[in-house]
Amino acid sequence: MDEVEKRVIDLIAEVLVDVNKENIQLDSKIVEDLGAESLDIYDMIALLEDEFHLEITDEEVEKIQTVKDVADFIRVAKQAS
Amino acid sequence: MTAQRVFVTGIGMITCLGSGVAANWEAITAGRSGIGPITLFDTAKFATKIAGEVDGAFDPHGYVNPKEMRRMDRYQQFALVSAGEAMAHAGLEWPPVNPYRCGVVVGSGMGGLASIEEGFDVVRNKGPRHVHPLTLTKAVINLGPAMLSIKYGFKGPNFGVVNACTSGASAVGEAYRMVREGRADVMITGGTEAVITELSIAAFNSLRALSTRNDEPTRASRPFDRDRDGFVIGEGAGILILESGEHAQRRGATLLAEIVGYGATDDAYHVVMPDANGEAPYWAMRLALEDAGIEPEAIGYINAHGTSTDLNDKMETLAIKKLFGAKSYRVSISSTKSMTGHLIGAAGAIEAIYSVMAIRNGIVPPTINLENPDPDCDLDYTPNKAVSKQVEYAISNSFAFGGQNAALVFRRA
Repeated sequence: MDEVEKRVIDLIAEVLVDVNKENIQLDSKIVEDLGAESLDIYDMIALLEDEFHLEITDEEVEKIQTVKDVADFIRVAKQAS
Repeated sequence: MTAQRVFVTGIGMITCLGSGVAANWEAITAGRSGIGPITLFDTAKFATKIAGEVDGAFDPHGYVNPKEMRRMDRYQQFALVSAGEAMAHAGLEWPPVNPYRCGVVVGSGMGGLASIEEGFDVVRNKGPRHVHPLTLTKAVINLGPAMLSIKYGFKGPNFGVVNACTSGASAVGEAYRMVREGRADVMITGGTEAVITELSIAAFNSLRALSTRNDEPTRASRPFDRDRDGFVIGEGAGILILESGEHAQRRGATLLAEIVGYGATDDAYHVVMPDANGEAPYWAMRLALEDAGIEPEAIGYINAHGTSTDLNDKMETLAIKKLFGAKSYRVSISSTKSMTGHLIGAAGAIEAIYSVMAIRNGIVPPTINLENPDPDCDLDYTPNKAVSKQVEYAISNSFAFGGQNAALVFRRA
């Protein structure tokens, strides 16, 4: 697991009140497996944007399913910037 | 339906004197001030640099999950932690069997002002799309009581009370009426406030309302003293569990005190100044006594509003004299704000708890820093040292900017 992936898991764990960090895997689906609801997603987006200095549009959020998808998106966005 | 008797069966609190009722009562009866330098923001440019701040580690018993804390404004955190203590103290199981008979009424003067200030900083400096989605839930005042209902599964009547410095007392009074009238069996009530913020201190300073005795923080809040120079702001929460006599008896609850009276009035006079004649506060106390069905001489202790402002302390003294007449010199009075500072929307709630503790323990807390009484304030304010005294009935006063007045009467259970 690389630094971006580790940090993404940290932030998701910070947001989801009922989920322990140890139970978050790279292939965990954020909604289906981790139980995130819309307010959790908005909260995560705000934290990720702040942490990685990027913008995630609502269209881009639609395409994200797993924890790994988040980390991949961040790596691509950082390279592009 | 016959009126229900209403008992206090659980209490919890956080102030600058500590987390929990026990720590608070120890400090209050020892006459210890909790006022110190403001650390929550840089006060360099501010006239007032002191307040009654709550210590960082205010949830020693872990009543609230740290992850949930993150999603709350400080005023909500105080309410949830104090409610945790009060619920544990009451020994109530939750979620309740009859959830629609259990409600929440909690007061706050300014709610999540810190979150509003933070959010406004972001919208101005970084732009609107950077505003955090939880800004709204942290800002608004009804989310304090809503978070309590979510936590405890209380599905009955639920609302916030916004009444400036009377919010806490109004909340307890309205919750008391709800149980008395049979509309609920159990109520979580009280007040919570966390407005030691830049905007709040600046605005109170512009009104010249705050003490600027920055070099002597523990001596700054000095109700009824000649040398007082304004109030000292505090923060925290007080939560009480109110329960109908029937409900409390059925489950064998410990009765801490009975609430027997509530009176509420307004000065109809001015946006910040109290009417100097004390007429409406007198009526609040009188109505509370009538509600309790007792004469003034039955009162053994008055927990005064006692803000340490020139106008309040004179006016409140006058209101007490109007009600008690010649007997006003025999009643024990004190302002616990001399030690906690003024907790705005939480003040009435923590002072209700101190009144309950005074009755239970037979101790009248002192007014500290009362060295040279204002000649217009010549009653027995229990100067500087707690006094042992059996108290059958206590009354707690709260008055607000805007003229809202409330008085609560407690009886030994």
